[in-house]
Amino acid sequence: MIEIKNLEKTYSSGAVATQVLMGVSFKIEAGEYVAIMGTSGTGKSTLMNIIGCLDKPTGGHYTLNGTEVESLDDDALSHLRNHEIGFVFQQFHLLARASALKNVMLPLIYTDEYPEDAEERARQVLSSVGLSDRIGYKPNELSGGQQQRVAIARALVTNPSIILADEPTGNLDRKSGLEVLSIFRHLNGEGRTIIMVTHDEATAGHANRIIQLKDGRVASDQRVSEPQDPQKELEALKAGEDVR
Amino acid sequence: MRSSRIVKEGVQSLGANKLRTFFMMAGTIVGIAALTVIMAMGKGTEQSVMKKVNSFGIKAIMVTAGGGKGFSPPQEGITTLRLEDLEAVRNQVQGIEMLSPGVIKRGSSIKVGTAQTQATVFAVEPDWYDAWEWQITSGDPINAEDMSTMARTCNLGTTLSRTLFGDADPISEYIQIGTTRFLVKGLLESRGTSPSGGDMDNRVLIPLTTGMRRLLNVDYLSYIRVKVKDTKNLVAIGDEIRKILHERHHITPPQEDDFAIVTAADIAKAARGISGTLSILLIALAGLSLIVGGIVLMNILLISVSERVKEIGLRRALGATQSDIFMQFLAESLAITLLGMLFGCLVGWGASLLIGMFAKAPVIISWEPFALAVVFSLMVGLFFGIQPARRAARLKPVETLQ
Repeated sequence: MIEIKNLEKTYSSGAVATQVLMGVSFKIEAGEYVAIMGTSGTGKSTLMNIIGCLDKPTGGHYTLNGTEVESLDDDALSHLRNHEIGFVFQQFHLLARASALKNVMLPLIYTDEYPEDAEERARQVLSSVGLSDRIGYKPNELSGGQQQRVAIARALVTNPSIILADEPTGNLDRKSGLEVLSIFRHLNGEGRTIIMVTHDEATAGHANRIIQLKDGRVASDQRVSEPQDPQKELEALKAGEDVR
Repeated sequence: MRSSRIVKEGVQSLGANKLRTFFMMAGTIVGIAALTVIMAMGKGTEQSVMKKVNSFGIKAIMVTAGGGKGFSPPQEGITTLRLEDLEAVRNQVQGIEMLSPGVIKRGSSIKVGTAQTQATVFAVEPDWYDAWEWQITSGDPINAEDMSTMARTCNLGTTLSRTLFGDADPISEYIQIGTTRFLVKGLLESRGTSPSGGDMDNRVLIPLTTGMRRLLNVDYLSYIRVKVKDTKNLVAIGDEIRKILHERHHITPPQEDDFAIVTAADIAKAARGISGTLSILLIALAGLSLIVGGIVLMNILLISVSERVKEIGLRRALGATQSDIFMQFLAESLAITLLGMLFGCLVGWGASLLIGMFAKAPVIISWEPFALAVVFSLMVGLFFGIQPARRAARLKPVETLQ
């Protein structure tokens, strides 16, 4: 569970201080599927970094699964990122030299107790995102969609409670994007919390809840009555292709 | 273990850019190779110096008739070194354990029956055996009685004995030196080749008195061997003897001496020769390449850190702590220098062997340079790896992932 209260973030370079977040508050329960929306410059990246424990707020409170994050030191934040959060980035951020399998195993290096079945686990999550036949491939031998699915597998390998995705479909074609969203829908169905930062309304429409940021504040926070179904859209897309 | 997994991550990145890895290693390779060569040559030289000094006698001073610098065998036909000089030295110089004079006649004709050869005749006193630490293996040495009676007795070196008698026992046989018959009393132990390359066993010892009056008819000495009590005083005693001889021979420098004084210290100095200068050059090369190599290593690592900012950010996002990143980069640096060290040792060993083979310089391959190389390369790897590793560790994950 994520609870944010009056979260503030001010960047200061020299004498100039820029306040990006001006008191953001919301609560995300375990198992939710939330999209955080906003145009660029509204502070959604900053908010995402703070939620992801990559950055610390300059004011307010952030509680992640009962832990007061703002009071933690750097090592504790690293530990929290490793255990509680699975990151999915717009740029995929895979190690170019490593195979899909090695990339997926990367977070396990930083676990306190390295699982004996690390490789087996990595194989499992890779096959759960439909890449069991691409295990030994290097990123440059994979399509964008496949690379993003490797990244999702990497996010899942430590079995985190939260998947934090930053524009996960931003660099993908429509079909690959829908495949990613379909995986998210499936993971959410398994009870995992998904938080997705996006500026794209169509993508945000796949979530169950949309938090809209504007000028460093929450402009709106709404349930989505009928989220998009990625599976249906994929089928429609396929049908369209067939017609053509 | 977590740390071993992280070290592995660091080491694995060496394979990513092999040319770059090589450049990072180059300084260590050259430095360690030079170090290995220095030590191999140093040890080899030291051993050969010790061998020469030991064969000369570590407490020995040789006063030889005839001038010239450096250690050369006594010159024949120089008549200025006399028994009175010997007595003067014996009476005036403190700290001498033993004085053993001798007359040498090279190329003397030696005959037994029809067998004939040439050897060096040494006319010596009974303390010769102690002065040279050279004993007989069978029979008797030349003694005081032989001296006082001017006996025609002798000891043979092994080469001479073999030439004249083959494998037969020469004791109690007679040999003819020039035209005089001598009884063989004893057989000297074998000494092999002298440092200057002569056969030291092709000799015959006879009593000094017999040699001077009966055989050679001379009233001068070829050499005086001095054995000092304490090696500390070698040089001082040598200088003292020189002073006495200058006075007695009426020589005032820069007038040339008619004798030469060589101490064990001079032998060591001459034997070290240019290897000392060469060592200093090589040490400078080793030090310089380790430092320059370290700086190159550091700079390439710093470049590599800024090129891998995204990778570092990703690792941080996935749960790497600052010390994990620090360790990864330090492990990379250490792995480079250790690998460089291994290559350096191999190159150094190879070079040492080649030097030993072609330059005829004595080299000794041992484990010490390897141990030293491990220490040096770890030091270089640590010293020059810390800065890049720290920079990598201090990168903020937020900024690096953008």
